[in-house]
This record gives sequence, structure tokens and C-alpha cells, in this order.
Amino acid sequence: MNRFANDAYLNTRVAVKATELFRPGDLARHAQLSLQELGQKFHLGSILEEPVSDYVKSRAVEQALIQLLLSELQILIRPMGVDERGLVLAWARKYALFNLKTLLRGKIRNLDAQEIRDNLYDLPPEVRLANEELFRTESAVELLRCLESGPLSLLARQAREIYEQRQEAFALEAAIDQRYYAELARRVNRLEGHPAQRQMRMLVGSLVDRADILWLIRFRFAYALSASETFYQLVPSPHLMHRQRLLELVALDDQTKVIAALPDPLRELLTDAGNLMETQRRMAQYSNGIATDVLRRGTSGVARALAYLILREENLRAVFSLIQGRLLNLPEPYVELAVGLRPAICVHRWQDAA
Amino acid sequence: MLTPQPMKHVRILALREDLPLISLALAETESFHPDPRQTEDEKLAPLVDCSYQKEYQQARSRLDKIRQVIEVPEADMSEIRVVGLDELTEVNAWLGEAWESCLRHQEAGRELDERTRLLEEQETALANFAELNVDLGSLRGEKRFLDFYVGVVPRENVRRLEGALGLAGHLLFKYMEREGIAHVVIVGPTGTREAELGSVLSAAGFQAVPLPHGLDDSPGAIQAELKQRRATIEAEQAELDQAVAACEVAFRDELVRAETVLTLAEPFVTLDPAIRSSGNLAAIAGWVPARALPALEKRLADSMTHPFSLESRRPTEDERPQVPSVPVRSRLLAPFAMLVKQYGVPRYGEVDPTLLFTITFLVMFGSMFGDVGHGAVLAVLAWVFRRKLGRFYVFGLLAGGSSILFGFLFGSVFGYKTLIPAIWMSPLYNPVLMLQLALGWGALFLTLACVLTIYNRFAVRAHMAAVFGPHGVVNLTFYLGLIWGAVSLVTTGQFGLVQALLTGGALAALAGYNWFHMQAPIGEKILMVLIETLETVIGYLSNTLSFLRVAAFSINHVALMIAVLTLAGMLGTVGHVLMVIFGNIFVIVLEGVIVTIQVMRLQYFEGFSRYFSADGREFAPLRLRRRAPAA
Repeated sequence: MNRFANDAYLNTRVAVKATELFRPGDLARHAQLSLQELGQKFHLGSILEEPVSDYVKSRAVEQALIQLLLSELQILIRPMGVDERGLVLAWARKYALFNLKTLLRGKIRNLDAQEIRDNLYDLPPEVRLANEELFRTESAVELLRCLESGPLSLLARQAREIYEQRQEAFALEAAIDQRYYAELARRVNRLEGHPAQRQMRMLVGSLVDRADILWLIRFRFAYALSASETFYQLVPSPHLMHRQRLLELVALDDQTKVIAALPDPLRELLTDAGNLMETQRRMAQYSNGIATDVLRRGTSGVARALAYLILREENLRAVFSLIQGRLLNLPEPYVELAVGLRPAICVHRWQDAA
Repeated sequence: MLTPQPMKHVRILALREDLPLISLALAETESFHPDPRQTEDEKLAPLVDCSYQKEYQQARSRLDKIRQVIEVPEADMSEIRVVGLDELTEVNAWLGEAWESCLRHQEAGRELDERTRLLEEQETALANFAELNVDLGSLRGEKRFLDFYVGVVPRENVRRLEGALGLAGHLLFKYMEREGIAHVVIVGPTGTREAELGSVLSAAGFQAVPLPHGLDDSPGAIQAELKQRRATIEAEQAELDQAVAACEVAFRDELVRAETVLTLAEPFVTLDPAIRSSGNLAAIAGWVPARALPALEKRLADSMTHPFSLESRRPTEDERPQVPSVPVRSRLLAPFAMLVKQYGVPRYGEVDPTLLFTITFLVMFGSMFGDVGHGAVLAVLAWVFRRKLGRFYVFGLLAGGSSILFGFLFGSVFGYKTLIPAIWMSPLYNPVLMLQLALGWGALFLTLACVLTIYNRFAVRAHMAAVFGPHGVVNLTFYLGLIWGAVSLVTTGQFGLVQALLTGGALAALAGYNWFHMQAPIGEKILMVLIETLETVIGYLSNTLSFLRVAAFSINHVALMIAVLTLAGMLGTVGHVLMVIFGNIFVIVLEGVIVTIQVMRLQYFEGFSRYFSADGREFAPLRLRRRAPAA
């Protein structure tokens, strides 16, 4: 098939798949369902009926939802070209990086091998790391050395050097996250001249914008890092938070000034956010809004496919939060807070609400 | 050889403490395929205490990693004995220490590599600076107002680092880039922001390139200093190599012991999923070839001191898909078995197609590539490269042999038709006959494939599918009627009433069967039945015609050689010889590859897709695996 035929095929596939996404009000309705009803609705009944602990059920549900998402991804990437497929897989590689972080934390804290294994996600070969080989390593440094011989060599090398110097998991994980978004931005820039590039810049850019704003506030004001240290942790976005803007923002010494200096629509969105959790919730709304826009109005099949996957992931994450809330018997307001149905207010007000 | 080896399901009940002994005895027989399915007996549960397995996994992983640094000798299997948990734990602990030691050597090697790389970068940097009219000596050491950093940084980080340093009041100049590494000079005011700067530089992977003392010396003196440093690194590398060699010698005996212990412990670990236990009692389930069962029972009786019970039974109908199939074990058929395995493993009860595949492959390959000389070249090459080809060299020998045989039938040696008399005739002398024979061969091949399909389905008790299913009895009746009718049409000019009744009746039966087994609205049913019936007719016709390629390639082979010899005839003596040589090489390589692909295509698509479900399980018995000495 040629590119036009592939795009038409992909657009059709995405259009069919998009009917499975939540419509406005669906999440609020699902939040009212009991655990059994949720299990039935999302075909997770057999897992929830297993005579095992709530923790094991919760892990199994999470694994099943991730598998569902990644199986859809496997179908959608089939007709894509090399670069587009690479970009979508780079987005999905976050799950492999979750596994990498789990392995690193386990190795740093000398956890039991079985305990580490129980917390790893089972991933399809397209996004999987060589888990078994990594699993055999006996320290974080050895693990990173092992990774240096694979596709994550640059990330691994820098992460190892940082870890050897600082011996702290935070710097290591920050480097991994930073590299993940930098790789996404790099792949979008490689689509130069591709019909999907404009939409991809918006879509992937919104994800990078979201990470940048949260990191900027956290590193600069919560961890009190210097402007230069903060800037180095950020990723120039192909959308709003580009390099020059990041340089200007990190130089500001007050969070209010940073919010005021943000471009629209981010400034309007975050002006009265109040705390980091609410900022996170609103930034999620922002990137989901862009994904919805690309899915509805976009012309590129690849961009629409990625937009679908981003929204689907959000939906499935909400389903997982609802189920976990039920399994842990959490009060309704907490669950609604977790799925973004309520604004994040400070702790004593949550307790009042509960 | 065509029918599968009968298998028995075996259940061994024994004391739990005897499990390592039983697994070792079973591994020695090499006839026990573990069955991990959940037992019906609810009192028996999978083993909970996995310390043996955990120790083994960690020890094996450590030994494999050690193998990447030093040579690990082969296991000493002169004495087959049970390995207890204590011994395994002890070996694992020793391997942990040995790995730490190897890891230190590995890290030391990496550090030396890194120093060598940095030295190379330094040499490159200095060569670059040499062209500048700058006193580099003044960049070294602390300055009152300005800080200078000269070093390297990964190319990807330069731009971000530049921005970050700008925020700290420093400037970054990139003056060179090679192999993904950027050489930079950083300049900024001395003072208050050193900690901040250090943190950013470290996050960016900045490595300072030290400026040597005496930069104001002559270039020769600087070169001598760098040479001295390189010599130091080389000396350290030699020391490290010696240390690794000494480590290899010192660890040798313990490594043999570790490899032996792990080889002996492996069967128990492999058997683990097939073990169920309750209290002191344990049960092991698996599959054993019926004829190997007495030897297995005797081996267990000889090695066990405590009582045990062994129950065996034939596989039930339900568990047939779970029963492993024993592959054909023959040196001659081994390469063909590998090709069959590429498609799949026969289901237990089905015909193993390896022998049939071998015969039909050789017949088709030989007839399409029939030439004494070309076949001899293939056979000789296979023999010369037998070490590299492994078991696959037999494939080359047999394929070459088949070409030689057909070469004698066609009277062809490297394309020359006059060197030897043809036992039969050259394919080009009567192409129509060749095409007819190819069609006949195709009809025979497809008939045989249908017969095997029917046999396989009856063998797995799928009676309805054997009669009405694709390539079943009804399909075969239709096909034979069609062939008979076609032959009558060619010879007598009439299709024939009986033949018409056979084909028509079979098609009607097929359509009727489809009609009653289809769940769809009436309009869709009519459409589907018509399409499926038509597809049967077209499918058999096109599949038979597909075999015309056997004759086509046979004729093509001759025609290509005629072209080569005609071109050679147009040249002088040297040109003639060269043309014949290179023409033959061209034909052997090109046609050899094409013919192999075409034969494989006929085998896989016209043969295997009909009668070979290929979803079986391969018999993988528990065995003592011996590893190669070094990775």
C-alpha cells in the first residue's frame, strides 16, 4: 500500500477505535459504579473475582489495561512508515522506562528478585527492554552498564555517570524522564516536511509542555534549584515551551511571575491553580484538549492515531483509578480527585469534603 | 517414520526429598517431557519453597556473566550425583565473590578504555590548539577574575548546556566535534556560582580535558608527555590482562565445580513447573515415548532408595493437543526436519511430513536443476564447507545428488548435451511432455496431500471435518473426478458422465454441507455457498497449474545453459572458457536459489497448508545440558 492508502486505512481504523473513548459525562457516570459493575463494563470481571489479595488484583487490572492499550498500539502502527512508527513507539516506551525505574529502584534498595519481578509490566516486544538480561544484574551501575550496549546507550551512560557521582535515585530518574521527552521532541523534529508534522508538533509538544511546566515549578520553587540547573532538566518543546521561553521563565524568581509570563492558553489555565496537583490536573486537561482536537479535526492518520492512544491511555488510567479506589475502599471525593473530576484542593479541605 | 511415536502420560509419586534425585534420573534417560498442567487432585499444589530454584537462577546468571570475562571450563560429568540446596547455596555464594572480582577487572578495563579515549581527545584538542596563537598555559590553573574549563561533552547536550551556562553567567564555545563528542571551552566569572556550575556540568556529562604542564614547551616535549601517558595506560592494560589471566587460573577448579554443580542441578529446576506436592509427598507429571517407558522405570528403580510409584496411561482425546510429538531422528533427514520445523511441529497423532517432504523436495529440486556438473558442484561445496554448514551440509549433498541423477536422465553436464548420453531425454526436446508430466506430478502431489489431510483428521477423531472439511473426502472426490474428466476430455473429447456425476455430486454435497452449517440471512447464505463452491473449483485448478513451474524451471535451466554456450561460441578461446565458467557460476547461484525458493513454496503452500496443522508441541525431554567452555 502507498502512503495515501495507508493514511486512509489508518484514519478508518482510528475513527472506528475512537468510538470506544469516553464521551463527556461518561467518567462521572463510571465513578458511580460499584466494583462488580466496573469489572463487567470493562471486561475485568474474571480478574476481580480471583481469590487473591487486593494488591494482586490491582496489579493484574493495571497489567490488563496496559496490555489492552499496547495491543491497540500494535494494530495502529502496522501501516505506519518507519519514522512515524518510531515516534509512536517512542511515546509507548514510557512503559519500558517504568520497568527500568522499577529495576533501578529494586537494585538500589537491594530488593528481593521476585519482588522486583512482580512489579514489572509484561510488555510487547516492540517496546520491551531486554528485561531478563537487566534482571540478572546485581547493582544499579551494572544494570546501567548493561543498558549501554543497547538503544538506550546515551541515556544509560549519562544516568550511570550521574548515579556514580551523586548516588541518588532522584537524579537518575530525572535523567531518564528528561531523555524520554527529549527523544519525543527529537523525533517530531525529524518529521520535517511530513504532512503529519504540524499536528504532531502540537500533540507531542503539548505532552512536553505539560512535563516542562510541572518540572519548572517543582525544580525551581519546590526543590529551590538554580535557574541554570532547572533549565538543564527541561526539554525544549516543539509547541509552546520552546527554548527561548524556557530560558526566560527559569530566570524568574517567583511562581506567580512564571505563571503570569506563560503564553496563552497556559497562563489563563494556570492563573488560579494554587498548587502543583491542581496544575497537574489542568495541564492534563490541556494536553487532552489538544489530543481531542487533533483526533476530531486532524487530517494525518498518524497524528490521529497517536491522539487516540493518548486519550485512550487517559481513559484506561481513569478506569484503573476507579477500580483501585473501590478495592481500597477510598471515600468518593478522593477517587473523584484522582480521576480529575474534582479540582485538587489542599489536604484539610479534602478531609472536610470526605 | 511417517506415523508418530506413541506417547504415555506418566505420573510419579515419591517423597519430596527425592525430587532432585528423580529429576537427575529422568534427565539421564532423556525421555521425559515435563507436563506443567494443573493436576485434578486439589490436595497437591505447586512447590511453594523455591529457594533451590532461586539459588540456581542467581548462580547460573553469575556464571554466565563470568563467562563473558574469563573462560569457564566444561563441567566434569564423570560422576552423576544429586546436588543439595546447601551445596548449591555454597556455589552461588562463591560465584557471587568470583563475579565481584571479575566485575572489578571489567570496570578496570572500562576505566582504561575511558582514559585512552580521553587521551585521544586531548591529543586531538592540542593538535587543534596548535594552530591558534594562544598561550594555552595561561588557561590552566586558577585565575583571579575568570574561570576556564576545557573539556568534552556529548554532542546532544551542547545546546542545553550552553543555555544553562548562560543563565549562570558563563559562555560556551564549541571548537571541534568528532564521533558524537563536542570539544568545548567554557569561560565565566570566577566566584560564587561554582557549585551550581558543577551540578550542571556533571548532569551534562562534561569531562575536563586536562591541559598538560609545560604547554609553553616545544611540541616535541608535549608529545613526549602524551606518549609517556599512553605507555602508562598500555602498561596498566598489560597488568590487567595478566591479572585476568591469573584470575582465570586461580578460579579454574572452582569454576569447573560450579559448572558441574549447576549442570547437575538444572534438571530439577527445569522440572519445577511439573511438580506438585503436599507435605512430604510430591508428584511429577510428564510425557514419555511408550517404548522408552520400561527403561525409564528401570532407571528410577535402580537409583531410588525410597519407595515410589509410577502410573502411566495413554493420552485422552481432550489432551491430544498437549501431547508432544517426537521429531524424526535421522542424520539424513535432520536438515529437512529443520525446514519442516520452520513451518511448525506436527500435532500428536498426525503424520510427520519430514520423510514425504524430503522425497518430494529432492524429486522437484533435481528435475528443476538437473545437471551432472551443477549437482556435483553443489555436493562438493556442501562437503567442503561441512563444518560451517553443520547438519545442513547433508541437505547440499542430497540436493546435489538429486541434480546429478536428473542430469544423467537429461544427459547434461555443465549445459553440454554431448558429453554423456541422456538416459531419458533433455527437457527441451519435448516441452509439452514435460508440462504434462508436471501437471501429473501436481495432481499426484495434491491427491497425496488430501489423503494425508483425511488421515490426520480421522486420527484426531475429527470425522466430519475429514469428510466435508477443506481437502477432505468430498473435496478429494471432486478433485479426482475433475482430473479423470480432464484426462477423458483430452483423450476422447468428452468429459464423461461418471466423471461429471462425481464432480457435480461432490460439489453439491459440499454446498449442502456449507448451507446447513452456515448461520446467516438467506441472501448471504446463497452468496457464501456460491462463492465457496466456486473457490473450491478455482482453487484446485490453480493449485494443479501451479506445478507447471516444475517443468518450466526444468526447461528454463536448459535454455539458460544454451544461452551461455551460444555466447561462449561467439567468443575466442579465452573468452569461451571464461564465459562457460562464469555462465555456469551465474546459473548455479541464480537458478539454485530460485529453484529452492520455488520448491519450498510448493511444499509450504500446496502441501503443508492442506494437511499439516503445524500447531503441535515438540518433544523437549529433560536432559543434562553440557555447555561450551567459553562464550
